[in-house]
Amino acid sequence: MISLSTTLRARRGMMREWRLHALSIFSLAVAFVCFGASLLVVTNLRALEDRWAHAGRASVYLKDNAAADDIESVKSALLRVGGVKQVRYVSGQQARLDFGASQQERATALASLPAEAFPSTLEVEVVPEMTDTELVDMATKLQKLPSVEDVETYQAWTERLSRLIRGGVAASALLALVVLFAVLAVVGSTIRLALQRRRTEVEVLKLVGATDRFVKGPYILEGSVQGAMGALGATGLLALLFMIIRARLDGEFVNLLGLQPQFLPWYLVTALVCSGALLGALAAMGTLRRLVLV
Amino acid sequence: MSRFDGPFAFRPALRAGARFSREAKDRPILTFESVFKSYRSGSPVLRGVHLTIERGEFVFVTGPSGAGKSTLLRLLYRSETVDDGRILFLGKDVARLKDDAIPFLRRNIGVVFQDFKLVPAWSVYENVAVALEVLSLPTRLVRTRVGEALERVGLSGRGDDLAGVLSGGEQQRVAIARAIVGEPALILADEPTGNLDPQLAIDILGLFEEIHEGGTTVVFATHDRTLLEVRPRRVVVLDEGKALDVPQGIAIDSDDHYRLPN
Repeated sequence: MISLSTTLRARRGMMREWRLHALSIFSLAVAFVCFGASLLVVTNLRALEDRWAHAGRASVYLKDNAAADDIESVKSALLRVGGVKQVRYVSGQQARLDFGASQQERATALASLPAEAFPSTLEVEVVPEMTDTELVDMATKLQKLPSVEDVETYQAWTERLSRLIRGGVAASALLALVVLFAVLAVVGSTIRLALQRRRTEVEVLKLVGATDRFVKGPYILEGSVQGAMGALGATGLLALLFMIIRARLDGEFVNLLGLQPQFLPWYLVTALVCSGALLGALAAMGTLRRLVLV
Repeated sequence: MSRFDGPFAFRPALRAGARFSREAKDRPILTFESVFKSYRSGSPVLRGVHLTIERGEFVFVTGPSGAGKSTLLRLLYRSETVDDGRILFLGKDVARLKDDAIPFLRRNIGVVFQDFKLVPAWSVYENVAVALEVLSLPTRLVRTRVGEALERVGLSGRGDDLAGVLSGGEQQRVAIARAIVGEPALILADEPTGNLDPQLAIDILGLFEEIHEGGTTVVFATHDRTLLEVRPRRVVVLDEGKALDVPQGIAIDSDDHYRLPN
């Protein structure tokens, strides 16, 4: 249990050597920013995957020579399939107009694109409960029809996202290791320096009968506070950067990805700060085990 | 009146669960039995020291530089360990204490050094209170007892001053206050006047005598012959690793030789 005396002595130590501790917290914050940033990327990729995995839509690309009757029969057949909510026909010309409306500054470039760049489609909206297998089954059947060129269920896109997420998780794990070593090194060095500066204090404490636990307590608490503040500082910095980027590019993200980027959820922030505190305490304990003698 | 209630009453700070033995009260406070200590092989500092100090005594330990005065004291508060022999403090062999028992030994011994061993960045109050904080006493009690200790050493009202800015004499008074605030059974003073001018040295010695009058056993290591001359008390002379006991004090002639009384 942390006693009042331990807290007071830790606070006193940190106040007296605030420069040393501030430097340590800053160094830890830099390490945690890298880790936090990777977590942020993974979190948003997951949201993106979730968004597209349950997009509830498919695009049926029609052949250029598809007759109006064929298109209408495909449309009515689709509407009879269980789980299909709505089917909308979008002509090539309409697709060009829609795209042009969202990319007005590139109007000239768009005008020079050939007609094949904007094929006619049937935009199918399905219920979110429709499974991937059912969607694939429907796409396979559609592809066999003579007027259908291709069917896009966006599964390839989500698979690519999944691969990206796996890469992101691996990178995060690697960065977590880097953070672990950074915390051990930074907190260890800070505690070693603090012990060196407070050598007389430790000597006096031992002399008056302080137990090892009493002597080490404040240093462990200091290590823990450094770790937690480093993680908290990193989260704050990350939040600030995130807000700046979102303020500038929010519309772009929505247009491009179909969702707004989100900051780290509260439970991840809490876990980050707690793990910072735990790592800091462990690093301090490891250092003290070798340095404080009876 | 029980011996536990008298002026020499002492209640040691024991480890949790440990029981205080009444028999320990009847034993000498300190017994050295054939104590050997060397830092380098072949040149022992202490060669079979035998010494007994009774409760409530004031003993000077003297001898030339390197005779082992500081070593003797360091062995007592377990900053060093004996090579051979026994040191019994209240009947317990200090040399055989486990590491986790050492803090409890030290809570019963007040130590004062030549270089004061104060934390300069701490206030006078903090430097004294630390001896009680390790006992986890309530803050109010700590405040009262530190105030009393500072009053005894003549530093009443100086609690807020930083220890680092005090004069040598004042710093030594703070160190003495720290040593006595826990009301230990034994005070060890390792050349406490070594850094002070002669008059201040005698003042500090007077302070130790006042503490002794309160019933505390004092072991005062010094090579300052003036102090031995002005206060004839029991002297233990350490020379060539042996302890020579001179119960009636010692005289030193003009050639700096110790002269035993007739």
